[in-house]
Amino acid sequence: MDEIIRLEKICYSYYEKILALRDINLGIKEGERFAIIGANGSGKSTLLQIMNGLIHQSQGKYFFRSNEVSEQTLRDKGFLRFFRERVGYVFQDSDVQLFCPTVLDELLYGPLQLEMKESEALDRAFEVMQILNIANLKDRPSYMLSGGEKKRVAIGSVLTMNPEVLLLDEPTNGLDPRTQCFLVELMLALNEAGKTLVIATHDLSLVDELHTRVALLSEEHILEKIGASEDILKDEELLLKVNLIHEHIHYHGQDIHKHRHSHYLFHKHEMK
Amino acid sequence: MKSKVPSFLLERPSSDSFERGKRGLKMPFIEKGIHHLAYVIKTGYIQWETASTDNFFQRIDARIKVLFLLFYVIIVSLKKDILPEVLIGAFVFILTLISRLNIFSLYKRVLFFGFIFGFLIALPSAFNVITRGEIIFPIAHLSRPYSVWIYRIPEKIGFTREGVYGVMMLTSRVMNSLALSFFVLFTTPFSEIMKALKVLKVPDSFIMIVTLSYKYMFVFAKTVEDMHLAKKSRLAGRVSNTEARRWIAGRIAFMLKKIRMRCEEIFKAMLGRGFSDDIKIYGVEKLRARDWVTGVAFFLVGVLFLWM
Repeated sequence: MDEIIRLEKICYSYYEKILALRDINLGIKEGERFAIIGANGSGKSTLLQIMNGLIHQSQGKYFFRSNEVSEQTLRDKGFLRFFRERVGYVFQDSDVQLFCPTVLDELLYGPLQLEMKESEALDRAFEVMQILNIANLKDRPSYMLSGGEKKRVAIGSVLTMNPEVLLLDEPTNGLDPRTQCFLVELMLALNEAGKTLVIATHDLSLVDELHTRVALLSEEHILEKIGASEDILKDEELLLKVNLIHEHIHYHGQDIHKHRHSHYLFHKHEMK
Repeated sequence: MKSKVPSFLLERPSSDSFERGKRGLKMPFIEKGIHHLAYVIKTGYIQWETASTDNFFQRIDARIKVLFLLFYVIIVSLKKDILPEVLIGAFVFILTLISRLNIFSLYKRVLFFGFIFGFLIALPSAFNVITRGEIIFPIAHLSRPYSVWIYRIPEKIGFTREGVYGVMMLTSRVMNSLALSFFVLFTTPFSEIMKALKVLKVPDSFIMIVTLSYKYMFVFAKTVEDMHLAKKSRLAGRVSNTEARRWIAGRIAFMLKKIRMRCEEIFKAMLGRGFSDDIKIYGVEKLRARDWVTGVAFFLVGVLFLWM
């Protein structure tokens, strides 16, 4: 598999004052499931936004299909279209992503931007509504949707553009277990359909379920390690170091326990 | 789930290459505007955060600084000549230098707001249609004078000496007031200013409104910026100005809805934590000798300006 995304020595600072990313080198292969994990504030969302060309690195280079992506190259109309139709971004906060009057308008916005015929765009919108189970919401405005429905519409609004790469920022955050389960199944199906998935999350169970390759960001905003999810999730010392698991004390009946806790894998008790 | 995936999602793009556009895309006005808004607000925040550095004016108690600001803004408003205004401006500039503030950043804001709220607003009053007097810059010559409502439009239209002087006075007052305000804001952490206002018996409801507005500004800036990025991520070409304006109008409506909902949530959260219309403050220290000396010095200089 070829690398579809390549980041070389990427650095980013907010307003030249607050460091968000330092010397990030990584490559993502076509059709891969890739997760960027790290504690809050480690730079996951920033990295994802750089990958979508929404903000631009202060140092380093970003290549998409061997084409450099920068503020300058994205000013080229041809390249902008090439890039935007291939890379889709699902924001953590669906509210900011939904800006059209109704759900159907949301789904049509992207294809119409790509100058697709209206009939073809409508076909896509209805097919996407079917798979996401939101056909009954098509005439609703976004502010009348629940959190889970908003997330489905946000994903749908990107899927109608049929991107090769899907960047998902904390996709399961704040969703109920059933919607989370639906999303995991959807992501796996999309990946099997050939889509490259890049997910920014601190939800270790999601990483385990999707069985991804993982880039682990530290609180110092550097790339701590890249590897298979099973290797990284097993490495308790490493996860403790980057603050993704913590020491936890609690009672079981009359006994007090101390253990490492991640709300996921590590719940090994030792008697005190 | 796999069997349900629409067929178009299985299609790959026909080509891995692209044709270069004939013309580059310019940054649309909306993007420039949003970037600027977010930048101004967030850099403002950083400056407020760094207001606690250990330089001359930063070390002075916030109460002295708030009184200094009020006293000097009154002096600036009372003066009727350009010279004292220039001297007050120079005095604030020297204080800015001593406090090691970023002169460019501070005066960029002073000039920008001073130009809009001082010069531009006052400019029409320089015409002889509004301020009578000796014309020093003639602009137009009509065949005869006209009377419109309460105004009399004379034959010769132009800027009068008295009008230009009035514009200069108003602009210098606005700029001096802005320079004083920014100077105090850049050298005093926000929480200290609020504490000082409370000690100086400013009503709690006013302090509460200012505090909440300040906090909400950053939430607002972040939301606006994120909404813009979300749109940008789905744009594959240039957006016409009409479409951009339509989008802004829609988003403003959304923001108003969100603001209303957020206000209700915040108020409930405040009630939940025992809010009772009374702001409690802690850690109010006594004024030190340094604060008294600086306060007296500023007072004497202010009296000197008043006397001039």
